[in-house]
Amino acid sequence: MNNVKNPFHLYLEPTGDVKKKLASLFFDFVLVLTCVSFTFFLRVFLGDGRWKNKHHNLCCGEAMSKTLFAAVSLFLLTLCGAVYAETTIVFATDATWPPMEFVNDQKQVVGFSIDFMTAAGREAGFKPVFKNTAWDGIFSGLASGKYDAVVSSVSITKERKRVMDFSEPYYTVRQALIVNKASQATSLADLKGRKVGGQIGTTGYFAIKAADGVEAKSYDEVGLAMEDLNVDRIAAVVCDDPVAANYALDKYKDRLKIVAVIESGEAENYGVAVNKGNSETLALINRGIAAVKAKGIDRELKEKWIGQ
Amino acid sequence: MSEPERTTIEIGDGAAIPRAEDRGLVSAWWLALIGAATLLVVLPWIKPDPYLTILRFVPDGVVITFKVTVLSISLAIFIGLVTGLGRISRNRFINLIASLYVEVVRGIPLLVQLFYIYYALGRLVRVPDLVAAVIAMAFCYGAYMGEVFRAGIQSIDYGQSEAAQSLGFNPRQTMTYVVLPQAWRTILPPVGNEFIALLKDTSLVSILAVSDILRRGREYASESFNYFETYTMIALIYLVITLILSKLISLMEYRLSYYDRR
Repeated sequence: MNNVKNPFHLYLEPTGDVKKKLASLFFDFVLVLTCVSFTFFLRVFLGDGRWKNKHHNLCCGEAMSKTLFAAVSLFLLTLCGAVYAETTIVFATDATWPPMEFVNDQKQVVGFSIDFMTAAGREAGFKPVFKNTAWDGIFSGLASGKYDAVVSSVSITKERKRVMDFSEPYYTVRQALIVNKASQATSLADLKGRKVGGQIGTTGYFAIKAADGVEAKSYDEVGLAMEDLNVDRIAAVVCDDPVAANYALDKYKDRLKIVAVIESGEAENYGVAVNKGNSETLALINRGIAAVKAKGIDRELKEKWIGQ
Repeated sequence: MSEPERTTIEIGDGAAIPRAEDRGLVSAWWLALIGAATLLVVLPWIKPDPYLTILRFVPDGVVITFKVTVLSISLAIFIGLVTGLGRISRNRFINLIASLYVEVVRGIPLLVQLFYIYYALGRLVRVPDLVAAVIAMAFCYGAYMGEVFRAGIQSIDYGQSEAAQSLGFNPRQTMTYVVLPQAWRTILPPVGNEFIALLKDTSLVSILAVSDILRRGREYASESFNYFETYTMIALIYLVITLILSKLISLMEYRLSYYDRR
């Protein structure tokens, strides 16, 4: 807990359900009582062993009981520390989507979204923990409670809104069409009968499926689609424009180019997804997002990660 | 005087291992098949909203899965035959090459090989994804097949080869007219099992964006968020297919074991 500013933060700011927190406090109190009484029990009845023959004493004497006492106190101390820490929100992120979220050469999950949520956490007072999770199935993991929220460049769509709640938008993107440098195509309509790739379950892939006569091909990661485009197995890739820029202008800058922003699609907004009805987490995240936007931190981050 | 105590030895039917013809054994297979088939029919019938849609979405994936399986197994049998013969070859060079291939391929996880061959091949030659997937699967399974063939050939008594040679057959004739025809009997059942294993392992090619059963299911699930329902249906489809195939293989095994049963 290195960035705890105010240890009583949790109890002073009524951000969430007060009753729940009182209940958890009470539970902690009971736990503390149990531990203390257990320690005393050990000290009195097993420790000095006056009530039993010395040879049959299993828990041997003063030294043992002291160690036990020390161990239990240490456990209690850490418990108290945990009680007074900030709320932690576990975010799932598919770190294969540079520059929004990806794994850098130090094996850390970094990127625009990561920095954004860390800043939001600093503003709203929660500690974000990022869990690198495969995209395919990321929402089922959310539903089964493996993490509290998904921040993985999730565009807010009607279909997704049916099954989960979204935070305020934090970034706006469009779908970009990437082709090989030699290709003449300038839109999806030029690619009739050809294979076009996108990451499974992304809005880019849905855009390909919606286009007539184009054979949609889904990949687990957008990077794999880019590699298949690079070796000419497919004719084009559709994905969010910052990601498209990252691949076409940086990694594959000699081979690929961005030719178009998909004409039919309106702008999409990234939001943080939480389970339906998880208003407590959502409120905290929304407060963070609003504060980051108000302070202009998002513009700095955009410059840092996306440029232009 | 009392009677001397007698120990009675109970004599059962002595069937420690039930025999294959035992009718009672069939029940597990029937239970699984009927259960899976019933669920496959009843679920879409009762709840057509996700289940029937999933069933409508997946069939072209089944075709792709079969295509990949059949093409890879044919190629793998060919590679396996060559490798198996190479492994028992007296020519040191051929033997070394075949053994090296088997050792290397068996030592690398199938998933890693698939990725490697698919993307390495892509850098070298322009091949469509399905062909790349088939080559990758056949390359991996060729090594396993090679071991099946080697074991099958070595299971034929050496006396057979000696007899053939004493009748003036050269080594090639011995192999093609005497050893291999007999070895087939031993080889075919494990080849059948490899076929089923390969069919199940083709689900791995879905990571290469080949639209097989699993990939189709995942595409559906990622759009509708019906993960549980989708994977239930996919598991049932695979189960029904493999159950039918395993029955066919055990029938084949039964017919091939005619001489052993006599």
